[in-house]
Amino acid sequence: MPDDAQEQFTRRDFVKGVAAFTATAVTHARIAMATGENARKQEGGAASPGGQIPQRPLGKTGARVSAIGVGGYHLGSTQDQQEASEIVARALDAGINFFDNAWDYHDGLSEERLGVALKGKRDKAFLMTKVCTHGRGKDIAMQMLEQSLRRLQTDHLDLWQIHEVIYYNDPDLIFRPGGAAEALLEAKKQGKVRFVGFTGHKDPSIHLRMLAQDFPFDTVQMPLNPFDATFRSFETQVMPQANRRGIAVLGMKSLGGSGEMITHGAITAPEGLRYAMSLPVATTISGMDSIEVLEQNLEVARGFQPMSDVEMQALRDRVKVFAADGRYELFKTTKKYDGDVGREQHHFPTSQKLPA
Amino acid sequence: MPKRTRKPARGRPMSKNTPARKAAAVRQSTSSSAGPIPLRPFGKHSDVRISALGMGGHHLGDAKDEKTAIALVREAVDGGVTFFDNCWEYHRGKSEAWMGKGLKGVRDKIFLMTKVCTHGRDASLALQMLEQSLKRLQTDHLDLWQIHGVVFENDPELFIRPGGAAEAMHKAQQQGKVRFLGFTGHKDPRVHLSMLQTGFPFDAVQMPLNAFDATFHSFQAEVLPELNRRGIAALGMKPMSGHGEPIQDGAVTAEEALRYAMSLPVTTTITGMERPEILRQNLRVAQNFQPMPPGEMRALEERVKPVAADGHFELYKVSLKFDNPEARLAHNFPLDMESPEVKEIVYATQNTGRPYPEIPK
Repeated sequence: MPDDAQEQFTRRDFVKGVAAFTATAVTHARIAMATGENARKQEGGAASPGGQIPQRPLGKTGARVSAIGVGGYHLGSTQDQQEASEIVARALDAGINFFDNAWDYHDGLSEERLGVALKGKRDKAFLMTKVCTHGRGKDIAMQMLEQSLRRLQTDHLDLWQIHEVIYYNDPDLIFRPGGAAEALLEAKKQGKVRFVGFTGHKDPSIHLRMLAQDFPFDTVQMPLNPFDATFRSFETQVMPQANRRGIAVLGMKSLGGSGEMITHGAITAPEGLRYAMSLPVATTISGMDSIEVLEQNLEVARGFQPMSDVEMQALRDRVKVFAADGRYELFKTTKKYDGDVGREQHHFPTSQKLPA
Repeated sequence: MPKRTRKPARGRPMSKNTPARKAAAVRQSTSSSAGPIPLRPFGKHSDVRISALGMGGHHLGDAKDEKTAIALVREAVDGGVTFFDNCWEYHRGKSEAWMGKGLKGVRDKIFLMTKVCTHGRDASLALQMLEQSLKRLQTDHLDLWQIHGVVFENDPELFIRPGGAAEAMHKAQQQGKVRFLGFTGHKDPRVHLSMLQTGFPFDAVQMPLNAFDATFHSFQAEVLPELNRRGIAALGMKPMSGHGEPIQDGAVTAEEALRYAMSLPVTTTITGMERPEILRQNLRVAQNFQPMPPGEMRALEERVKPVAADGHFELYKVSLKFDNPEARLAHNFPLDMESPEVKEIVYATQNTGRPYPEIPK
């Protein structure tokens, strides 16, 4: 599964008003709004209800990106190119410039659809894709880069990230002589990518081992949501270091990846997205496979007002009991979100044979 | 003990099921044994001694039929196995029922363990499960009763909470229904350490121990020394990684895998034996057991280290695969529709219309 797979399924359900509340969730008291504090954390001068989508600095790169980004996987889940193009066009019009993708999403279809959709608009977008070496070397990475550029119909990426750093020996394999880290530097040198980073959804300790390499990463992508705050937490273990070093943090899985946290009634979709966007991140990547879902996200992102610290803490406290076993963060606790390209390289059973 | 006729061959890979090898294994093992399986002290209860090889309960339920299962249990007893493992939920009770039948008449010669599947739920549920286990196993007491599948980070907290399973353990012990208490889990050494930190007086702790574990999320490095220090009986499991994948892949042979696990400072090594030839091969290793010299153990660990590093031979640590339905249900995790227990659950629910789990009130 891709980083943001199925997240959208749930958000769509939310939009349709489908909510299956469990007995446990019903007992949750609604959080008290901490009035008067909301305005404390001002977004870069653009925040007002119905206003613009905030633009934020991408770490210390000098680039600025929209506070919400379009997840690439779901562009491949759209009905056809026309729908994908419409989503991309409307997102750009609304002020979203961050576009996520990956070499392996839908066997290339996600990149192809985004490439067509961005035709003539490439310069308005901040374009990211990811490379799926999963331990293989620099040469494979460079070949994948050429394929991605061709599919995306561009001569350069704004950001190129190593995808799915989720296996415990991945840092060793990426930084071995001839490993994928060398490809990041080479591609940058050749002017084919502006910035480089990595992503993964498994374990903060793996992210920390990547960061410990003292490699000039511009970005790091990670799952960020109210449940993560108290369970194998990227928010507490990885994000502060990235912030300190000026490495841009890209949030994902704001609704837990498969969204049981929403359908079980533990949180609402806007709560999850608002929480993630209120963290010190450059952007929050969210899958949008229909106009309906895009509009739902735009409602939260337009004139975005960050949650207050008090409100965020109340949300963390409220969901803590459900966060404690990882049931709503299956990307950390199961194989459900681990893609087949990586499984093959690491000799794991396929997703069909080992779904979770 | 069976009469010794000839010394069994060593180093035979057990997973190569060519007809010739199978025949050889059967021929050779029907009547041969080199000596008794070593008996080891049960932690600080040094008056209690159990066999260094234990029979796993889950695989017993995978036996061809009840007759085969009963014969396996009897042959294991005859071969010197005194430690028998089981669990309330294995094959929805079939494993316990078959073992109970197999142990008829020899119950007092062996050390019987089963596990309770509360997974955070109440003491009262635990005690209901205990009664069911005793009935299926056809006995009035267990030698060891363990909390099953302590795999989620909040399990220790749920175990020790007021009204939690810890209370059931004390009560069962006071009532004389169980002699010793323990817990088991296969996920993360840190979860085991949290259980130990609850302060509960565990007599035994079960965990995966094999050459892959030595360098990856290691129970051997992080938990075993603590158990040894406290005099808690260490019970090893998954010497062949659960389903023998590294043996099928040729990363290790079955004999070196089992010898390695048995050479650690453990009371017993529990392994599944659902077919007579597997039982006999394991009996041969145990009856001829000579601990691996430390140098040989280190060499094996080094040899498998590169393939141990991402956990693909220890799927119980990095996937839901070995998390049984009771654990997943109690923690609201997705079920594995292919597991025998889940198929049984679905079948039972469809046919009775009663909700699961079906526990008598």
